[in-house]
Amino acid sequence: MKKRTSITDKIWIVILTILALLYVYPIVMILFNSLKVERAISTATAFELPTAESFAGLANYVDAVLSKGFLQSLGFSLFITLTSVVAILICCSMCAWFITRVKNKFTLALYYLFVFSMVVPFQMVMFTLAQTADSLKLNTPWDIWVIYLGFGAGLAVFMFAGFMKSIPLEIEEASMIDGCNPLQTFFLIVLPILKPTMVSVGILEAMWVWNDYLLPTLVLDIKKYKTIPMLIQYFRGSYGRVEMGPMMASIMLTVIPIIIVYLAGQKHIIKGVAAGAVKG
Amino acid sequence: MANISFRHVEKTYDNGVTVVPDLNLEIEDKEFIVLVGPSGCGKSTTLRMIAGLEDVTGGELYIGDRLVNNVPPKDRDIAMVFQSYALYPHMTVYKNMAFALELRKVPKDEIDKKVREAARILELEPYLDRKPKALSGGQRQRVALGRAMVRDPKVFLLDEPLSNLDAKLRTEMRSQISQLHKRLQTTFVYVTHDQTEAMTMGDRIVVMKDGIIQQVDTPQNLYNSPCNMFVAGFIGSPQMNFVTVKVEKAADGYDLVYGKCHIPVKNEALAPYVGKEVVMGIRPEDIYVEEEGDVAVLDAKVTLAEMMGSEIYLYFTYEGQNLIARIPSDVNVQADDTIRLTVDEEKVHVFDKETEKIICQ
Repeated sequence: MKKRTSITDKIWIVILTILALLYVYPIVMILFNSLKVERAISTATAFELPTAESFAGLANYVDAVLSKGFLQSLGFSLFITLTSVVAILICCSMCAWFITRVKNKFTLALYYLFVFSMVVPFQMVMFTLAQTADSLKLNTPWDIWVIYLGFGAGLAVFMFAGFMKSIPLEIEEASMIDGCNPLQTFFLIVLPILKPTMVSVGILEAMWVWNDYLLPTLVLDIKKYKTIPMLIQYFRGSYGRVEMGPMMASIMLTVIPIIIVYLAGQKHIIKGVAAGAVKG
Repeated sequence: MANISFRHVEKTYDNGVTVVPDLNLEIEDKEFIVLVGPSGCGKSTTLRMIAGLEDVTGGELYIGDRLVNNVPPKDRDIAMVFQSYALYPHMTVYKNMAFALELRKVPKDEIDKKVREAARILELEPYLDRKPKALSGGQRQRVALGRAMVRDPKVFLLDEPLSNLDAKLRTEMRSQISQLHKRLQTTFVYVTHDQTEAMTMGDRIVVMKDGIIQQVDTPQNLYNSPCNMFVAGFIGSPQMNFVTVKVEKAADGYDLVYGKCHIPVKNEALAPYVGKEVVMGIRPEDIYVEEEGDVAVLDAKVTLAEMMGSEIYLYFTYEGQNLIARIPSDVNVQADDTIRLTVDEEKVHVFDKETEKIICQ
């Protein structure tokens, strides 16, 4: 019995290793090609490692950063991601607290509304959304976080509510007796306890907002504002010409920050997701 | 002054369930009062009403001279220790204890003095920098007590604070809490379902059932003079034996007839019950092994003899009813033996079979 388990384990290790390699492969490909000179990146040579002749050093990265307003786009992406994630974390954790602690038909309906919003595909609402965003003047990088808050709320409230159910009510009651008003209870007691879930939700939402292409393309004024995923498209020039080197370099530059954020919070993301799932 | 006064207090939940129908109780200043009763009897709800964690839906609740029905918990000058300790998991022991004082903007050096003093009393000094998860159950409970202590509250509320501890630690903490009460000279309201805790700690005990107070008295009086069968059965371990007997008129009083056993009782309160059935209550320690000259003797068929060290819990049947006796451990008795036992007629309690109220004792 024991032996059979260990064989099964080995098979799983092999399968998962292959899967992991498959996932990492495109990123490695992009990394290699971002270090090659433009003419070396063709269909035939895309899979080759950079050679002494084809190695371009960091030239593509310099090109990517200096051309097409990369730094401005980076600024927009950072601002949008930061404001959206902060808004989602604060508003949704408070909302989940309300839903978990005040139990009535209204809060139950509210909770299911949030859960339901996760099921609705973005494509179903995107055109009406673009129209609404225009009329409400939410079509700038300074205001788009409101839309992200709406779309991110489903998952965030679901995860926060799941974890909050596992926080004993007595802790909050103790804080009330100690002298906290509801806001102090939330910010001084509940929020610090929520930290693992905060980190998990924060990372998940940050990954989504940072990488999102469709929503900003639909909502933002493309001529004035481009986020990084939108900008990458602009390395495709006219007549089908693509600046492959800078494009690969800018993709790498886009991917690296979010990988760093993920790795930094990896421990919490697993704890947070598991806590929400099990207790919720 | 921190006396607590319940005047026709009622608690009905939104779903229409009434947990406490009409509570009238006066808790004296500096008293250690214990609310005891089975699960769902309303004792925790009563405590939570004092704390302000449950709304009072009817009547008036006073702490000192102040009506507190609509006063939020933080303004009641109370401290509460919860069953689950309810420590703040992200704060150190020191921060846990200092938190309430920080919220009240007490100067830092004063907070430090108070926290260290409480930590010294509760022997928590080595753990001040630890988080609650790095403490044992007993230490956590002491932190919860310390958190309440540093505030010098008017009233201490304790909601089954020992039920998560093991038996040995519970005994230790029991005496610590009693000592704490003597030291602090504050009103303590303690909720438990454990009658041993109630008997050993309380100045007075409130026995509750279905939200109604059955009896409020000192531990000794509750034990010796219960007002009804519920109190008689709830207080005491092993619990009081109840058997149905018939009242007969005798030459100089009345006899409680239990099979062949006649128990003489000289109390005129039994007069209206002659010829009727009543319930006789007798505590296990008031049933002895027969000695010469005993009157109320019964032939007991032993079903189980539990050796407890200093005594034996003797489970036996007589006239088809199960009873327990506590007899000295030097008596040689085993299951299936027949032993002659005698009931101490001076210690018999007689209850009305219908109302379950005491007739005489």
